[in-house]
Amino acid sequence: MSGRDEGGNSAILSLPTHPLRQLPRHLPRKRRRNAGCVRFNSNAAPLLALLLSLLFTAAAHAAGALNIGVQLEPPNLDPTSGSAAAIDEIVYANLFEGLTRINEDGTVSPLLARSWTISEDGLVYDFELREGVAFHDGTAFNADDVVFSLNRARAPNSSNAQRALFELIANVEAVAPYHVRITLKEPLGALTTYLGWGDAVIVAPESAATNANHPIGTGPFAFQRWRKGASASLVRNENYWGARPALDQLNFIFIPDPTAAFAALMAGDVDGFPNYPAAENLALIERDARFQIITGASEGEMIVAINNGKAPFDDIRVRRALNHAIDKRAVIEAGLFGFGTPIGSHFPPHHPSYEELSDYYAYDPDEARRLLAEAGYPNGFSTTLALPPPAYARRGGEVVAAQLAAIGIDVQIRNIEWAQWLDQVFSNRNYDLTIVSHTEPLDIDIYARDDYYFQYRSAEFKEIIERLRLEADPAARDALYRNAQRKITEGAVNVFIASGPKVAVWSKDVSGVWANAPVQANDLTRADYAGRAPLTANDRSAPTRLPLWPIFALIIAAFAAVAVFARASPAFLVSRILSMALTLFAASLIIFVLIEIAPGDPAAFMMGLNANPEAVAALKTELGLDQSLAARYSNWIGGMITGDFGVSYTYRTPVAELMAERIWVSLPLAIMAFVLSTIIGIPAGLAAAAWRARSNGKMIMGAAQAGIAIPNFWLAILLVMIFAVTLRWFSAGGFPGWDAGVAPALKAMLLPAIALALPQAAILTQIMRSSTIETLHEDYIRTARAKGLSRRKTLFGHALRNALIPVLTILGLQFAFLLAGGVIIENVFYLPGLGRLVFQSIAQRDLIVVESIVMVLVFAVVAIAFLVDLAYAIVDPRLQSGGARR
Amino acid sequence: MTPRKAQWLQYVDAGLGAGAAIVATFILIAFVSLFWTPHDVAIIDVGARVAAPSFEYWFGANHLGRDVLSMIMVGARASITVAFLAVGAAMLIGVPLGLIAAATRGPLEEIIMRSSDVIFAFPALILAILFTAVYGPGALNAVIAIAIFNIPVFARLTRGAALPIWTRGYVLSARTAGKGRFRISVEHILPNIAAVLIVQATVQFSLAVLAEAALSYVGLGTQPPTPSWGRMLAESQTMVSFAPWLAIFPGLAIFSFVFGLNLLGDGLRRRFDPHRIAGMM
Repeated sequence: MSGRDEGGNSAILSLPTHPLRQLPRHLPRKRRRNAGCVRFNSNAAPLLALLLSLLFTAAAHAAGALNIGVQLEPPNLDPTSGSAAAIDEIVYANLFEGLTRINEDGTVSPLLARSWTISEDGLVYDFELREGVAFHDGTAFNADDVVFSLNRARAPNSSNAQRALFELIANVEAVAPYHVRITLKEPLGALTTYLGWGDAVIVAPESAATNANHPIGTGPFAFQRWRKGASASLVRNENYWGARPALDQLNFIFIPDPTAAFAALMAGDVDGFPNYPAAENLALIERDARFQIITGASEGEMIVAINNGKAPFDDIRVRRALNHAIDKRAVIEAGLFGFGTPIGSHFPPHHPSYEELSDYYAYDPDEARRLLAEAGYPNGFSTTLALPPPAYARRGGEVVAAQLAAIGIDVQIRNIEWAQWLDQVFSNRNYDLTIVSHTEPLDIDIYARDDYYFQYRSAEFKEIIERLRLEADPAARDALYRNAQRKITEGAVNVFIASGPKVAVWSKDVSGVWANAPVQANDLTRADYAGRAPLTANDRSAPTRLPLWPIFALIIAAFAAVAVFARASPAFLVSRILSMALTLFAASLIIFVLIEIAPGDPAAFMMGLNANPEAVAALKTELGLDQSLAARYSNWIGGMITGDFGVSYTYRTPVAELMAERIWVSLPLAIMAFVLSTIIGIPAGLAAAAWRARSNGKMIMGAAQAGIAIPNFWLAILLVMIFAVTLRWFSAGGFPGWDAGVAPALKAMLLPAIALALPQAAILTQIMRSSTIETLHEDYIRTARAKGLSRRKTLFGHALRNALIPVLTILGLQFAFLLAGGVIIENVFYLPGLGRLVFQSIAQRDLIVVESIVMVLVFAVVAIAFLVDLAYAIVDPRLQSGGARR
Repeated sequence: MTPRKAQWLQYVDAGLGAGAAIVATFILIAFVSLFWTPHDVAIIDVGARVAAPSFEYWFGANHLGRDVLSMIMVGARASITVAFLAVGAAMLIGVPLGLIAAATRGPLEEIIMRSSDVIFAFPALILAILFTAVYGPGALNAVIAIAIFNIPVFARLTRGAALPIWTRGYVLSARTAGKGRFRISVEHILPNIAAVLIVQATVQFSLAVLAEAALSYVGLGTQPPTPSWGRMLAESQTMVSFAPWLAIFPGLAIFSFVFGLNLLGDGLRRRFDPHRIAGMM
C-alpha cells in the first residue's frame, strides 16, 4: 500500500522465486510479433497484453520503509485530545515525546527530562530538561513548551482524555529555560509514569492547534502524510537529538478486517502487525518461513461484563451462576483461538501484584443451575448479550450464549458497532451482558466508580482504591492490589475470562520491535528491517491530491453534449431537469432524516472510553452538533450546492477533500469494470445471437445464466483464493495510490474490477443477444441476406449497429450500478474508495460523511438516468412530444 | 421422441423443469432443517474446529466446530424467509399502489409514480446498507430494506400492465354495467396481470436472495447465532487459505439457489409472457 507509493521495484520481484516471473519479459515481444495479425481483429487480446505488460512493472516497497498493519484508524493524530489507543499506536515515542517514557518492560526512564528531584513531602517535582531539542518545524524546545503542554492538558476546557489526572497538578512553572517545577495538590506516587503516557506528550504552542491533522513533535520520526482510510506515514527526523533510527519511513496501514489482515500479510502489502487480529491464522503463519510470531504480555482483560444494576443481575447468586456456567477455556479456544491466559479478576497475570483467582469459580453447570434456582430462577430467564465488532467478542459471544443456554438462560445476541456500544452500553448502561477487552494499564480502579457501566457499588472496594491512591510503600500497595482483586472476584462483578497476549506477526527480517505492550503503542525507534536499502531523495515526493471539480465539469459537459446532439426541445429539457431536481430534493430529505435519527453520539465516540462529559460537550460545540436539525439540513444542502460538503467529524478535514481522494479510486474502478463488462458482454451477446441455434451459443447463454447468479463478493473471494493466495499473481487487496504510478494502481484494481464486471457482463450478454435476435428478424436483414450478402457481413454491417441502440442506453444504467455496487467489493479488497469510506463513517458515526457520499452516489445515478433519458430521445424523437416518459 | 413426449415438452421446457427442481430442493432442505440436520447447529464443538470435509462433516466444520452442511440447511431457511417476506410485503404494497395509479390516473397516479422514481433513484444496495446500519442490523430490518426497493418495481409493473387492460372491451362493459373502479381492479385487472406479476416475483425473489446474502456478508443481515449464507462467507474469508471449503460451499448454495430461481423465472416468462424481452436490469 502506501509503502509502494514511493516507487521502487516490482512487488512481484519481492516475492519468492516463481516461474511466473518470467512472464513479463516475454510478453512485449510476443505482442510485437502478433501485431500484424491482431490489427484487423476486434477482440481484446492486444488490450489484455498491454495491460499485463503494464502490470508487471508495478512499484513495490519503498526502500528503508516498514509497513505496519494496524487494525483501527485513529480519529486524529493528537494524543493529547482523544483517548483512542489508535492515536498512540502511531505517534507515541515515534513522533511525540514526553518528559518521561514507558519502556517495553513497563519501567519509566527519562526522555525530554534528563533527570528530576522530588521534595520530601512528595509534592514538588523539579525536572531538568534536555537541551538542543527541536520540534519538527524547527522551533526550539524549552521549559515554556512543558508549561504550555501541561497547562493545556489541565485547563477547564481541555479535551484531554486524562484531564482528571492532570487536575492533581496545582502549578507548573518554568524556573529556568531548562528547568520546570511541578507542584501537586496531593502526593501522587505514579506521577512520572503518568508523564510518560501519550496524553502527556510535549507539544509546541505554535503547532498545538493543528496537531490533529499535522502533528509536530520532537520524536525521531516526523509526520509525512495521512491518507484517510488508507495509511499514515512518518519519515525519519534527520535533526533528531537522540540516536538515529535505522528505518527511513514508517507506514501505518489501516486494516480493520481480520480477513484483509491475513490477505495483506500473505500478499506482502504489510511487513507485520504489532497486534495481529486474526488468531485463527496463527497456526498457518507459524509454519511459514517468511514470518515470525512474537508473543508478549498485554494489559488487556477480556471480560463478560454484567450490568450489576439491573435485575436479575443485581442478585449475586445469579452473577455467581454465570461465573460457574461459563467455561473460560472454551471461550479462549473459540474467541482467541487458544491465545489467552485465564484470569479470575481484573488484573494482568504478568504484573507482580497478580493474585491467582482464575479457578475461584470452577466450571460447574450443576452448581450454576442450583444457584439460579436458589435465586428464584429454576427455569432460567431471557437476556441479551451485546457484542462489539472484534473477533474475540463475536466469536467468544457465541460460546458464552451456548453455555448459558445449557443452564437455562436464553441469550439473544446483539451484534453492534463500536459507536452503538459506547452509546448504549458504556454511556447509557442500557444492556444486560456484553463482552469487551479492557486495555488500559492498571485500571482496576474503574470498579470504584459508581456510574461506570458495570454499575458495581461497593463502599469497601472504594476504600481500598482510596488507600491505594495515597499509599507509597510498595509492600502495602501490593497487599492493597491483591485485596482489590479478591474483592471484585468474590462479588462476581463480571465473568473474568482471559488476558489476551499481545500477538505480533512480523516478517522474519524485522527486528527491534516491542514484544510486550505496557502502553498501547508501537515504539519503532529501535526497529530495523534487514535487506531494505536506504531511501533515495526522490522517493519523498509530496502527495498529489486530485480535486473533485473535474467530475462535475464532466457531468455538465455530458449534459450539454447530449442536449445539443439530441436537439431536444426546451420544454422537454426543462421538464426533465425539474423532475431531476425534485427527485434529488426528495432523496436528500430522506437521507438526512434517516441519518439524523441514527443512534449513537459522534462526539462521545470520538473521545473514547474514559473521556469526561465536559470534554465531550466541548467537542460537540466545536463540531456544530448542538445546532437545530433544520439549521443543519439547510447548512448541508446550501454548502453542497456551492461544493462545500462540510467538515468530517472524525477526520476534521473537509468532506469534499475526503471524497476527492476516494472518488479517484471508486470512479476508475467503476470505469474499469464497465470497460471489462462491455468488452466481454457485447461480443458474447453478439456471438450467442449469431450462434443461437448451435451449441456454442447455448454454452455462452449457459455461462451468462451462471454469471448472473454469482454473488460478486463470492466471486471476489474465489478470485483472491486463486490469484492472490495460491498463484500470488496479485496482491489480495490494497491500493498503492496513483502517485505510485498508473500501472500498479490499475493492477490493484484488476481483481476487484473483474469481480464487479463478470456478473454485469452476463446481464449485458443476455440483453445484447435478445436485442440482436430481434434485429435479425427485421425486414432489411432478410433483404440483405436475400440479395446474397454473407451471414457475417449482414451481422456486422447491418445488425450490429441497430442492435446496439437499445443496449447503449442500458450501458448507462449499468455504469451507475457499478459505481454504487463497488461499495461491497471495495470492502473485500480494502480499496480506499467511497464504499469503504461509507462503512468506516457509519461505524464512526461520522454522519456528515455518510450523508454526503450517499447523496453524491444518488446524484450520479439520477444524472446518469437523466442522460439515458436524453439518449432515448436521440434514438426515438417521439418520446419528446409527450414531454414525459413513456 | 414419441409424440406424447413432444407434447409434454411444449409445456415444460428443460430450463423451467430444472429451475423448478432446484428451487423445490432448496425449499425441501429448508423445511427438513426444521426437524433434522446432520449436526445441531447450536452446538459448538471446539474439537471439530475447521475440520476438513469428511464422512462425518460432509462440507467440513467451521472455526467453532459447527457443521457447514447443517448451517447451509438452516441458512436456506433464513434466506428463503427473508426473501419471501420482503417480496411478499413489496407485492402487498406495490401491487395495490399500481392498481390505484392505473385506476385513478391524474394527481394520485403522478404522486405514486414520482415517489417510485425517487426510491428508484437510490442505489438499492447503498440505501439498504444505510437503512440497516441506522436501524440496527437484523433479519427484520433486512426484510424491510429489501421490501422498500421492491415496492416501486411492483407498482410500476402493475400500472404498466394494467393500463392496456383498462381499454379492453370487457372492462368497458363492466364499467357500463356500473361496477366501481376498485371492484374492476380486483375482479378484472388483477387476474389478467397475475401471470406477469408471478414472473416478476420470481425474478425479484432471486434478487432478494442475493441482497440478503450481501447484507449478511457485510454483517447487517441475519444475526448470529442463526446461520446465514452471507455471514458464513464473511467468516470464511480469513480462513480461505487453509479451509477453502468454508468459502466454497455457502457460495455454491447462494449461487445454485439463485441460478435455479432465474431458470424458473425465465421458464415461467416463456410460458406466460412470450413477448417480453428476456433479461433484466
